[in-house]
Amino acid sequence: MLKKFLRCIAAGLLGLTLSLSVQAHGDHRHAPAAKVRIDLGASAAFDARSGDLWAVYKQGDHVMLTRSADAGRTWSEAQPVNPKPEKVAADGDARPKIALGSEGEIYVTWTTPLSKPYTGNVRFARSVDAGETFSEPVTVNADRQEITHRFDALAVDREGRIFVAWIDKRDLVAAKAAGNGAYRGAAVYYAVSDDRGASFRGDYKLADHSCECCRIGLYAAADGGVLAMWRHVFEPNVRDHALARMDASGAAGPVRRVTFDDWRIDACPHHGPSVVGDAKGTLHAVWFTAGDRHSGVYYGRLGEGAVDGLRRLGGDAAAHADIAAAGDRVAVAWKEFDGQRTQLRATVSDDGGRTWREHRLAATDGASGQPMVLEHEGRFHVFWHTRQAPLSVTAIP
Amino acid sequence: MKAKRLLRNALLAAALVLYACTAVRAQDQLRPFNTNSLDAIVQQHAGKPFVLALWSIHCLPCREEMAYWNDLRRRYPQVPIVLVSTDLPEEWSDVRRFLSRYDPGPVERWAFADEYVERLRYAIDRKWHGELPRTYFYDANHVVQGRSGKLDIAWLTDWFNRHAK
Repeated sequence: MLKKFLRCIAAGLLGLTLSLSVQAHGDHRHAPAAKVRIDLGASAAFDARSGDLWAVYKQGDHVMLTRSADAGRTWSEAQPVNPKPEKVAADGDARPKIALGSEGEIYVTWTTPLSKPYTGNVRFARSVDAGETFSEPVTVNADRQEITHRFDALAVDREGRIFVAWIDKRDLVAAKAAGNGAYRGAAVYYAVSDDRGASFRGDYKLADHSCECCRIGLYAAADGGVLAMWRHVFEPNVRDHALARMDASGAAGPVRRVTFDDWRIDACPHHGPSVVGDAKGTLHAVWFTAGDRHSGVYYGRLGEGAVDGLRRLGGDAAAHADIAAAGDRVAVAWKEFDGQRTQLRATVSDDGGRTWREHRLAATDGASGQPMVLEHEGRFHVFWHTRQAPLSVTAIP
Repeated sequence: MKAKRLLRNALLAAALVLYACTAVRAQDQLRPFNTNSLDAIVQQHAGKPFVLALWSIHCLPCREEMAYWNDLRRRYPQVPIVLVSTDLPEEWSDVRRFLSRYDPGPVERWAFADEYVERLRYAIDRKWHGELPRTYFYDANHVVQGRSGKLDIAWLTDWFNRHAK
């Protein structure tokens, strides 16, 4: 009788201990079997012909595509770009990309992380039937080592050729294998498609010694080719920015330094630039720096060996600016936490960046992605994917 | 009767083994970091120097610092080291896997628990833009200095030498 009683107590105590230890796993408790949360890294692009606005974002192991016929007021039911699930990178500056072809073709890229940390492949899929169906995703980078091919950037040049650029560590890996531990940063590589995304040729190296973790800004130049701007690692560890032109032939133009903030650091800023050209061919850019000389988010025109018209945007918490241009007009937007809410702010110039008019566009009380400035029929819109207002689009007055 | 007893003992043993295997060790637990967590951490270490290190599994220089923390924590046990991962709950199993692989030693382990990361960063330091690694050095009077980027081991050793009294 006593033995049975004691055994019951023991079992009961054990059961109690077990249930207590399960409750103590604070972070294990919430393993939602149900809804997969929408990630806040998203991109959007206008179809110049139809006026439709297309957007892509990550949800679980899928890149989702949705369309708005009313400049972002309402959106269609989202469809997966990749019906077969695969990992989609959404850390820091990573997000899926979208660009439109001249006949309304929809091009999408994303990075898929591989099993080793910091590794990835650049993925591409296209739709030539206005989003009804997508091609089976392909890996763009020809190099298939299990190394970094990440932070994909996508642009279509004036001839309709698709350029995909990314951050690549094959040169770092090769240097280490050869006993050279001094290779700084990573490299920028790119691939080109002449057939609307049916195939790609590459990989073409654009530059050695880029930063390892910041987004690349692309701009399709009026005279052909695509310009790339990225955070570089100048000797010995200066993380200012560089610019080079990707030619369709695979030839890389000279790399020139375009920002001069002298930010010396061995760190991951996760904070890349954007660049755009105006009607006169002047390049305008926005970037982040935290050096002794300058700290914050900045706008400037990329001159020879110097920045013209340097302006600090917002305050200490300004982040992730983007830029667009139309004719002589330049529009910049960024987000900024003010202690209570995240503000979406913009500034617009009608005279190529000499004078500016500020705007407060929106605010949110929760998490948000990086804003994108889009131009359509002479009007600027800011696409901003937030938890409270998903896929929001605000026209700049 | 014998069979029943045997079954009960087997179940107890199995349950004990299961418990031992599934209970997360106290040191592997990640404490959720919210907007009031820094105050709690500072209070907890009142009157003592300590280090607050922000890092992420997505930050390569941060991985290289894990061995430093392990070494410093053991050499200067009087100076607590508080690691705060900026990775959100959906990545915490990867964070734990990373920490068991790159073992920073007997440090405190926290991780961002709120996806509104701007608000968390603001609560830590309004002048911090989110670059990693980001480390805060509190002296015994809690005068704090923040440094961005991977730290020089000589500088670190010097700081610990001077403040670990």
